[in-house]
Amino acid sequence: MIWAREETLARQEIEEIQFTRLKATLKRIYDKVPSYRKKMDQAGVICDDIKSLDDLHKLPFTVKQDMRDNYPYGMFTVPRRELVRIHASSGTTGKPTVVGYTRNDMAIWTECVSRIACMGGASEDDVAQISFGYGMFTGALGLHYGLENIGASVIPVSSGNTQKQIMYMQDFGTTLLVATPSYALHIGEVAKDMGIDPAKDLNVKIGLFGGEGMTEPMRDEMHRLWGSDMKATQNYGMSELIGPGVSGECLELCGMHINEDHFIPEIINPDTGEVLPPGEKGELVISCITKEALPLIRYRTGDISRLFYEPCKCGRTTVRMENLSGRSDDMLIIRGVNVFPSQIEEVLLKIDEIGPHYEIVVDRVNYLDTMEIKVELADESLLDSYAMLGELENRIKFNLRTVLGLDAVIKLVAPRSLRRFEGKARRVTDLR
Amino acid sequence: MIRQLSIFIQNEIGSVASITAILKKHNINLRAIASFDTPQFAILRMIVDQPEKAKTLLIDSGFAVTMSEAIAVELEDKPGVLHDVLQIIADAGIGVNYIYSIVFRQKNVPLIIINTDDLEKTKQVLTDNGYSVPEQEDVIL
Repeated sequence: MIWAREETLARQEIEEIQFTRLKATLKRIYDKVPSYRKKMDQAGVICDDIKSLDDLHKLPFTVKQDMRDNYPYGMFTVPRRELVRIHASSGTTGKPTVVGYTRNDMAIWTECVSRIACMGGASEDDVAQISFGYGMFTGALGLHYGLENIGASVIPVSSGNTQKQIMYMQDFGTTLLVATPSYALHIGEVAKDMGIDPAKDLNVKIGLFGGEGMTEPMRDEMHRLWGSDMKATQNYGMSELIGPGVSGECLELCGMHINEDHFIPEIINPDTGEVLPPGEKGELVISCITKEALPLIRYRTGDISRLFYEPCKCGRTTVRMENLSGRSDDMLIIRGVNVFPSQIEEVLLKIDEIGPHYEIVVDRVNYLDTMEIKVELADESLLDSYAMLGELENRIKFNLRTVLGLDAVIKLVAPRSLRRFEGKARRVTDLR
Repeated sequence: MIRQLSIFIQNEIGSVASITAILKKHNINLRAIASFDTPQFAILRMIVDQPEKAKTLLIDSGFAVTMSEAIAVELEDKPGVLHDVLQIIADAGIGVNYIYSIVFRQKNVPLIIINTDDLEKTKQVLTDNGYSVPEQEDVIL
């Protein structure tokens, strides 16, 4: 089902809406946000210079540091009393990033998430278990409101207490799971330990995954655990932009449809800032054109993607962003080679004899970068001989070298010995 | 033939103890155990009196375990007897993968555990040469 008419407009119509909304939002930001006004003045650009969408590239970028410099409310275009909700991103260093919503922003957010839930196959018939952590993270409450809005029965179980999650799935007849992909895999494993086959004994047929990217091998793993008929889609967003609801995969699985009447995407060269043509890979930049409290213009997401403007078989005409191939700030530089953890995951998940969990430890020994990857042995028949285990290690190493052009130390560890995550997985440790 | 358990262990303090703890708790008796000082991980091989039960318990505790077969040979306690056995196996064109021994047998003679490329043929050549090749049940004694 397609939730909103705005998802099927002709390109020209979408662009007219975008331009009108961009102009109004830009004017408000210029008037209310001193830090962005200063950036525009320094760049020598005024609101009237934006005569069409093609002029968007003239505007300065907004970056995460701007949010920190203006902590907590300096980027807001409305007085604090107009906020009805405040969230904050998990700042691992220093102050978190604070975001706020007016009543109207809440309505937009709910609408955007409702569309994405429908793209992933959700309907009013679903019993939706939300296993994202509630609290300051936008994921849980975003999906909560969006799913409630389409009429699904929402179970706000939050993350953790995995055995109880499984009990709820059995007793409440959960049909839809909202979780990070890594937590969904963990729930499936724990269910198996409890003697419950998630594919047969549970009724979870839809997975709306987010909070972290899901690679294709990880989606295969999801199907292996939860059943081949599970509709396993992922969606994308970040708290600075709105939370979940920026874009999501439809069941055609050919990229994530962006809610273009609320967000304008661009792809830029992350080094030069130059806008790249459709289909080219680069950093995703998003402008919020409807939000009231915190509309960011040309926000650099740090995520690496591509944009496809061809209409989708699902009937939607909104632009699709390719599933993330990494974040520019997740990128590791090892001995001068750019390495995305998602590339490593792609290689590992194609090897049957090891499990889907892994840990990457990057270190520097005698001024030389080293990378160690821990993987869990899953095929116990290899225990017949050291030679077979050695062959497995060598094969993993060879496949990684083929993709990355780098040698890694492979460390086989016992099953279930690596850390499991209830929220976003943190699989990389950089000790340099 | 003898059924042995092969268990994946990491080279960490207490990893073998975590396995023997499970055996002790469930009153499973160890007949033989072997592991080597490999740098990162090791395959711990064991012969126990209740292999099926031990395997299930260890898997339930999260270990990777496989059960496979090996040959047990009874040897007299005197110099040169192991050489005689190995020579027979070599002469038959069979490769030895690893060897370990069962030490505590009360009044019985020592047992050597041998894994080779071809267990059936090994058993055959040893029996043909007059060696006693006990079955699982004999080892439990």
